[in-house]
Amino acid sequence: MSAPLFSLRQLDKRFGQRVLFTDVRLDLESGSGYVLTGPNGSGKTTLLRIAAGFEPADALVEFRGQPALIGAYPETWRREIVYVHQQPYLFHTSIEENLEYGLARRGLVPAERKVRAREALEWAGLGDRRDVPPHKLSGGEKQRVALARAKVLNPTLLLLDEPTANLDGDARKQVLELVTALCIENHTVVVASHDPEIIRLAILNRVHVADGRIETAD
Amino acid sequence: MEWFEPTGLAFFLLLTGDADLWRIILTSLICSVIALLLISPAAIALGFLIAKITFPGRRALVVLVQALLSFPTVVVGLVLYMLLSRQGPFGFLKLLFTPEAIIIGYMMIAFPVLVVFTLSAVQGADPRIYETARSLGASPLRSALTTLFEVRFGVMAAVFNGFGRVVSEVGCAIMVGGNIAGLTRNIPTAIALETSKGEFAQGIALGFVLIAVAIGINAALAWLQGRGGLE
Repeated sequence: MSAPLFSLRQLDKRFGQRVLFTDVRLDLESGSGYVLTGPNGSGKTTLLRIAAGFEPADALVEFRGQPALIGAYPETWRREIVYVHQQPYLFHTSIEENLEYGLARRGLVPAERKVRAREALEWAGLGDRRDVPPHKLSGGEKQRVALARAKVLNPTLLLLDEPTANLDGDARKQVLELVTALCIENHTVVVASHDPEIIRLAILNRVHVADGRIETAD
Repeated sequence: MEWFEPTGLAFFLLLTGDADLWRIILTSLICSVIALLLISPAAIALGFLIAKITFPGRRALVVLVQALLSFPTVVVGLVLYMLLSRQGPFGFLKLLFTPEAIIIGYMMIAFPVLVVFTLSAVQGADPRIYETARSLGASPLRSALTTLFEVRFGVMAAVFNGFGRVVSEVGCAIMVGGNIAGLTRNIPTAIALETSKGEFAQGIALGFVLIAVAIGINAALAWLQGRGGLE
């Protein structure tokens, strides 16, 4: 068996007196999809944020076999690991500039950024919403922009926190389709979710988080 | 009415482009703008760092900077006077009674305003801004700049408030500038001088300019906020 793409080992996390995780382990294989399940407060979001390097914790972290400290990820990791908040933040610029932001950080020239941003917007079904200010988008549209903004970067590891939470009807269905598409596209995707349809996706390995343990379902 | 004649004369001086009057106005505006341009980057950066980084003594530093907000400008002028006077440690620079001395004083006065307003704006910023920027591959510096851009109206309010504070202050400017006609005389010092001489027209005219500047600053901020979709 090959070495995992990303692994958290000997993970300890506590909030004050409350112990969330003690000596747990999470291994993510390259190209695989995972869904984190578990009750509210079990630590799914915290686990994603630890993996993203945004939540301090004691753990041994390895990405592509290279170790690092949580919160002190090398900048090269930052180009490959993308985290999308449950309620994504869209910058107060235009939708296209939101999509181009990460591409600009990767040194792409403006013309290429524009082409790739427009392709990603079309992918998200938002080609006709290009000129709408981000703050005037609906919750579902904002989530789709955030997914497109992540997808356009072609991340090695994509971490999605409850992408369908607070959405219903068509908005939820559209986001669900995008999440499924991202999982199929051979990204290593980790989705924290309560959504039964996401949990049932055959392409995703179920990882249950509860009572301070992380268990991979067979 | 007693105020009518000097007020009419004030408008006449303004509208006819009275050279002395407009030199005073330009001195005020130029010194204020240069001071803001010079001090803003450092003060905004410090405000951001205090807001974002936890370190021992942070609380005390915040209290100190907030206390500096209410520091009398005449005391700032006094300290600067002592530093720049011939016997002072920086006397060799020969800056006392020059526009440069006023600019340094203005920088000292605007500094805490800029720091505190930026600190407040960044503390109120959505923490997802910085994380989103970092997650999309931005460096810490770029993510900080993105955060400042997202709270740009708060940062602009900091700069405009700093400008408002220095353009209208009299204590420091009169101490380190000396109120020298054609060189360091600015709007507030000229108003003080002309009023003390019983010459109200120029004082009233300059007062109108100060009021116009204050209204202009607030109007500009409101307009920019409207353009930003925050109306």
